[in-house]
Amino acid sequence: MTRSFREALDSGRFLVTAEIVPPKGTDVGMVMSAIKDVKDIVDAVGVADNPGAVMTMSPWALCRVIAESGGEPIMHVSCRDRNRIALQSDLLGAAFLKIRNILCISGDHVSFGDHPDAMPVHDLDSIQLLEAVRDLTRGQDMTGHPLQGMPKFCVGAVANPESDPLAPQLLKFQKKLQAGIDFIQTHPVFNLDNLKPFRNEAREKGVKLLAGIRLLVSEEVPRYRDGSYPGLFVPEGLLAEIEGAKTEKCVEIAAQFIKTIKEKGLCDGVHISAPGHEEKIIDIIKAAGI
Amino acid sequence: MGCGTCVAVCLAGGEKEVSILASQIRMTLKLDGQSVQVDEATVERQCDREFLVDLGKKVNVSDYDMVISMACGAGVQLFSDVYDRSTVAPGLDTVFIGVAEGPGVWTERCRSCGDCVLGKTAGICPVTMCAKGLLNGPCGGTRHGKCEINPEMDCAWAKIYERLAARGGLAQIRETLPPRKNSRQAFPAVLIHEAYKRRLKKDDTIV
Repeated sequence: MTRSFREALDSGRFLVTAEIVPPKGTDVGMVMSAIKDVKDIVDAVGVADNPGAVMTMSPWALCRVIAESGGEPIMHVSCRDRNRIALQSDLLGAAFLKIRNILCISGDHVSFGDHPDAMPVHDLDSIQLLEAVRDLTRGQDMTGHPLQGMPKFCVGAVANPESDPLAPQLLKFQKKLQAGIDFIQTHPVFNLDNLKPFRNEAREKGVKLLAGIRLLVSEEVPRYRDGSYPGLFVPEGLLAEIEGAKTEKCVEIAAQFIKTIKEKGLCDGVHISAPGHEEKIIDIIKAAGI
Repeated sequence: MGCGTCVAVCLAGGEKEVSILASQIRMTLKLDGQSVQVDEATVERQCDREFLVDLGKKVNVSDYDMVISMACGAGVQLFSDVYDRSTVAPGLDTVFIGVAEGPGVWTERCRSCGDCVLGKTAGICPVTMCAKGLLNGPCGGTRHGKCEINPEMDCAWAKIYERLAARGGLAQIRETLPPRKNSRQAFPAVLIHEAYKRRLKKDDTIV
């Protein structure tokens, strides 16, 4: 794939991105195999930044490998583990390595991960990070010092349409839209009606909205139920359907969400994640008829 | 060594708690067959040099092999400063600046960050009450108005929004709050009251 994600966003067609979790270790064999399957059929590959606060390889490193192999990476940038100096420094490094797309996120709390005693940094929040990115792309750091060579980024942010209560989340979403972004990627959504207020606001600002699609699998049902995955709220009816179901059925359920979103024009595209089952992402895309 | 102020109110390090701990130590040592003298004392405030110096007029602190200070971390350190020949061990872990919610229940309310935003956030501190200290709205983990890390803890941003919406003040949080001024939290911090600054002569040291 040679087209940039920005070109894909401008193309006006239904977008598909896939999420990859870097390995815990230096062996990229398994993730690269999943990336090889999808990189030519998706518009970009999102590379998670220590998701769930579980320590894994730096996303910039895997993004670079993806770019070298002809894919279009989106580097996730979490505020959880780095202060404002490290965040800006890594962004300059990423730009130098020709990583063109970034997704700015708060980051799951350290208490969910495998280093619960780590310092949760959150020196900046996601909105302040978006503003810092805007400064960098205008040729200065966030305290106004000029840069020698400025980065260019296609900038994304996240929102959770299933947050409860919704109003504070929408207010933050509006602040993100105002911060000057190119796309919004949502947390996995299971009640698709929840997408509507976000779609309407995003359209008004000309920002592309990608709905989060997550492959739910039977063995993880207890963890979906007990709130082990922050921001993932799966309705009980759907959990009952997933419980005991074979993976093929789970793939079909994820694909059905995509079909509905596409047919009803609920979003400009989808972002597919299947943690631990990345090899199934291609099956979901095929089953969705994309 | 007890402290009669905050830790006494918090039922952690006042005269009564000192007495309980001293009894426990005496019993433990006796069961272990050791002969050790354990004495008790409590001053009004261990974080105030004046009270610690007064203590020295009644007790010869250097006679003791070890002092267990039941004050907060500040009191333990000042005790150690004043009586630098004695070994001082902390008897408590100091956890937070909070309020008394009811008998025996305290909740953290302030991280003493030096960059207060309470005027914009309806009197609810997002630096303290949001597990991530987010200044510009909730993260994506709010569920039923509760925090993603503890389903019994309110989401600070859900509460801030609710309070401001009720009083028509949402415009206050539609503006983006700038990054925190962490320099104001630089430690060790020193604060000199304006009225006292002129008293400090050129060569005076603060401590």
